[in-house]
Amino acid sequence: MIELIATAESMGQAEKLLENVDTLYIGEDEFGLRLPFSFSRDEQKEMIGLAHDAGRKVTVALNALLHNDRIQAVLPYLEFLAEAGADAVTIGDPGVIHLMAQHGIHLPYLYDAQTMVTSASQVNFWAKRGAVGAVLARELTKEELLQIGRKAEVPVEVLVYGATCIHQSKRPLVQNYFNYVGEGASGQERTLFLSEPKKEDTHYSIYEDRNGTHIFATNDVSLAGQLDVLNEGGLLKWKLDGLFTKGDAFVRIAEQFNEAKKLLEAGQWTMDAAARLQKEIQLHHPVGRSLDEGFFVKNPEDIA
Amino acid sequence: MTTLTKRVITKKPEVLAPAGTLEKLKTAIRYGADAVFIGGNAYGLRSRAGNFTYEEMAEGVAFAREYHAKVYVAANMVAHEGDTAGAGDFFRTLRDIGIDAVIVSDPALIEICAMEAEGLPIHLSTQASATNYETLNFWKSEGLERVVLAREVSMEEIKEIRQKTDVEIEAFIHGAMCISYSGRCTLSNHMADRDANRGGCTQSCRWKYGLFEMDEAAERTSLLGGGESGEIEEAFSMSAVDMAMIRHIPELVENGVDSLKIEGRMKSIHYVSTVANVYRQAIDAYCNDPDNYVFNEEWEDELWKVAQRELSSGFYYGIPSEEEQLFGKPRKIPAYSFIGQVLAYDEKTKIATIQQRNVFGQGDAIEFYGPGFTHFEQTIEEMWNEDDEPIDRAPNAMMTVKLRVLQPVRPYDMMRKQR
Repeated sequence: MIELIATAESMGQAEKLLENVDTLYIGEDEFGLRLPFSFSRDEQKEMIGLAHDAGRKVTVALNALLHNDRIQAVLPYLEFLAEAGADAVTIGDPGVIHLMAQHGIHLPYLYDAQTMVTSASQVNFWAKRGAVGAVLARELTKEELLQIGRKAEVPVEVLVYGATCIHQSKRPLVQNYFNYVGEGASGQERTLFLSEPKKEDTHYSIYEDRNGTHIFATNDVSLAGQLDVLNEGGLLKWKLDGLFTKGDAFVRIAEQFNEAKKLLEAGQWTMDAAARLQKEIQLHHPVGRSLDEGFFVKNPEDIA
Repeated sequence: MTTLTKRVITKKPEVLAPAGTLEKLKTAIRYGADAVFIGGNAYGLRSRAGNFTYEEMAEGVAFAREYHAKVYVAANMVAHEGDTAGAGDFFRTLRDIGIDAVIVSDPALIEICAMEAEGLPIHLSTQASATNYETLNFWKSEGLERVVLAREVSMEEIKEIRQKTDVEIEAFIHGAMCISYSGRCTLSNHMADRDANRGGCTQSCRWKYGLFEMDEAAERTSLLGGGESGEIEEAFSMSAVDMAMIRHIPELVENGVDSLKIEGRMKSIHYVSTVANVYRQAIDAYCNDPDNYVFNEEWEDELWKVAQRELSSGFYYGIPSEEEQLFGKPRKIPAYSFIGQVLAYDEKTKIATIQQRNVFGQGDAIEFYGPGFTHFEQTIEEMWNEDDEPIDRAPNAMMTVKLRVLQPVRPYDMMRKQR
């Protein structure tokens, strides 16, 4: 069974998404990385109830690198999530795994150390320590993904739509720059971009939040044209990330992926359907943000 | 009233220095390093740093043993499918050579090492970004001997970590820094098809970028230039200045850091000897008499002689501001060049035999330094080539030169001059 996992930015958007996706991916900035919205505890609880009423699931982002203050604060949060009935959490800091074991907290977790999760044996290391799944790095080629899919002992999640974070600094890099040039602006607007030297048409999103500065690849990912490959390879956990795709546009995109899922599961997927999906996604994708298939179409030898 | 017994700290932290080659390994140890870290031919992060063959490792280990020093091997790549082939043999060979520990970040490699090379201690690399005490406790429960902290951890946090875990702690004290959380940056992968976590980092963070806003209609507005007049033509960049914790040795010792790490396997013997020498002095001075410790300004002056960027204390005392990033025109550092190494010294004639490492000549103001922080300056007067013929310049790389020196020198003392 293909599982569609989508971020949500509001209760209203979540309601619409639940018609099309299996799992909502939400959380708060104190513990989760690069979320479209940081929900209050009450809202998270409500969101979990909403999803469960619709027969869907909620995974909560707990994938930040935690310093001492937050490793202390995370325990009550874990207890809250267990109580609220969260179906799973993503974890990127082994300290959280240690805490859960020490305190007997039973929350299924997906290992999610972002750029670091690059092999089946790494995934299996965490599976042996209780992980029920893992979120794969975005710097993996098709060949690598398929191998991981075969060898991993737990299901692995692949980004099929959305932005790819390629840099996280604890420093306020945009604010520091503005301070240096004497501008008053903060670095928190999510409409800022970098361009590479001598490549003026590149547009790497950059913004700051309480977890530091985040930079994203110049192209967002859409694997619309590769869904049959993923399906046949048994890579069935598909993440849709709406960080930069707002409101109903993201809901429309989720609808398209749901259509694709139905076609694939009914054995009715065609090249035409793939092309239609790609076109629809392009239509709802934010203007100015480009799409490609990322590392999926690269040669493993070319990226080492 | 003074106490009868002087406080002495017997559990000194280790000075851990980088060693890109066998020569650097020996230099670092002669100049006071308690341990060095090196790279093997695979599984590391410095594909361009000099990496050691097994034979060189064995020689390095034998040398280190004479000085009661340790040798660690960095195997801190984040492996993709197929990359770990042969890793079991690699770790077993290191263990049998007598390597004291391996520095690893990828759990897949940690597992291979633990399963296939039992008895070889494992240190968690800074690449894994360990930032809290529970993470250290996790890795301790997995059998790791030591955790290298993320460079983002503050002094206050180290203090708390020390109180809440008993696994060994290693912290960076000197050298270049990633501007990102180590391991959480794939700029190189995306901009240059080079995998930062497999030794291919192109230091894209130090490039000069454009910065602009884009509205919902994809209309771009450049923010470069700062202000409407656009007078400041400063590009966006993310280049960190380097770290130097020489002024904070007492706190690092008192907070129980077990190993103080100097970055830089690519750096020269001039750099490694100078930096190891300075930290050796400071740590010995503090531990031998912590209550009467006085900071010696010469230590910091010495570090500036080999500095390649401005120096800062990183995250130890707060989140780094724009002051700790490189903007504008870089200052011209280092101010000194390494010109020779002493091969021999004749007490009767006061003539030193020098291996030339850079051009020098008569009339140059030079400085000698050696292990134990010995120093003196002089001007070159008489010099000869290896056939004892008088010369006024030493232009050829690695040529042997004889010099009359004003104070005794020892083999492996170094010679530098101001640029």
